[in-house]
Amino acid sequence: MVRVKSRYLLCEVNVSDRSRLLLLDDRAVAATVKAAVARIHGDYGAALCSIRFSVKYLNAHTGIVFLRFPKKCYRLLWSALPFITCIETRGQKISCFLNCLHVGGTMRTCQKFLIRYNTQQLHRMLPKCKNEEEKQQVQKAILNCSLTGRNKEAFEVESESEEDEEEE
Amino acid sequence: MSVFMDLNVNYTADKSQLQSLIETAAHLGFSTVAINYVFEPTEIPAPTAISELMDPLPIVQGRSRPIRVLNRLTIVMSDASHFRPTAVEYRRFDLLAVQPTTEKLFHAACMIYDVDIICISVTEKLPFFFKRAPVNGAIERGLVFEVSYSAAIRDSTRRRYTIANAVCLMETCKGKVRPLPVPPLDLRGPYDITNLGLLFGLSDGEAKEAVSSTCRSVVLHAETRKTASGIIYTVKSCSDSPPADCKSRLHPVSQSSGWLMVNE
Repeated sequence: MVRVKSRYLLCEVNVSDRSRLLLLDDRAVAATVKAAVARIHGDYGAALCSIRFSVKYLNAHTGIVFLRFPKKCYRLLWSALPFITCIETRGQKISCFLNCLHVGGTMRTCQKFLIRYNTQQLHRMLPKCKNEEEKQQVQKAILNCSLTGRNKEAFEVESESEEDEEEE
Repeated sequence: MSVFMDLNVNYTADKSQLQSLIETAAHLGFSTVAINYVFEPTEIPAPTAISELMDPLPIVQGRSRPIRVLNRLTIVMSDASHFRPTAVEYRRFDLLAVQPTTEKLFHAACMIYDVDIICISVTEKLPFFFKRAPVNGAIERGLVFEVSYSAAIRDSTRRRYTIANAVCLMETCKGKVRPLPVPPLDLRGPYDITNLGLLFGLSDGEAKEAVSSTCRSVVLHAETRKTASGIIYTVKSCSDSPPADCKSRLHPVSQSSGWLMVNE
């Protein structure tokens, strides 16, 4: 069977103050990416972007975004992402930049990477805890990640069970 | 696993901003960062000691070691007298960079001057073209050319100049180029910079090398510059001791590449 292949880019949105992150929503991110691609690669880029590009997942608390691009031109569209300097949403501009963490062929591989990455982030957070209560919470979260075989999700990841799409 | 380095973080007098920049760099995965002091013709700034700046240094994402911070001096040269190779102040910096503005200076910098990095300015159309002879001479000596991409991120006209200059440089020197950012908020992750390298005309492997192994070779080249013919490497035994107390260690040197094998 002919399989339509895509590339899923796992990006992290870095902002200088984390409270602004909560204003993000997926339509704003999609519009920003399309505008950036149109600015850098012109009409050709904008046309490529309209084929199968979408924002698949957005977590406003951690700033993680999954973007989907068609496999043939994902490098070109990826090269426009460093030029994004701010995301405009609900009339407010959040100045930020996107940092790409992982490129995967399916949502599942990206999700697996995200779970490992979040676990590492929890480990990094542990020495920085300011009081005993926070430390306990972080330790509990880390234990949650690795204890049971089935429930392998870190507490910040919502369950995303979309498989790679077959012919659309 | 390759080591990513970001060798140009502009020095700001604001300590907290500098600290947040170093933290962001560590979060993005850069294992070494160099704080850049731009040279004014009047006085050479003294670099702040790293331990004063931030202590403890943040751990690099994905590794267990803290980020390494170096000091770097960039000299903007419009005249040959600006660069004095024997000035004592240069020794406090780990890396030396030169930004020539005329063709003669570019030629001199490539062939004669004892520096590690040659910066190509991207904010205006260059008044001179790159010739193969000095560029090849520079590459043989171990020098590296540097292109800043932060201006490209901000402004559309500057983007054109950046890409034009970078592509022009690429044609003459076939790689050996390092893109570098000038913060604030202009830091980009190493894989994103690799992609930018693709835009500038580098191939896949070369683009990744530009961020990792070329940077590492520059840092090693800077270390050999401090030594006597790359054989004896002096190390201060404690931070405040005068030069007379230095221990000296002998390291094997591979003569063909002129690099120093340093055991950290």
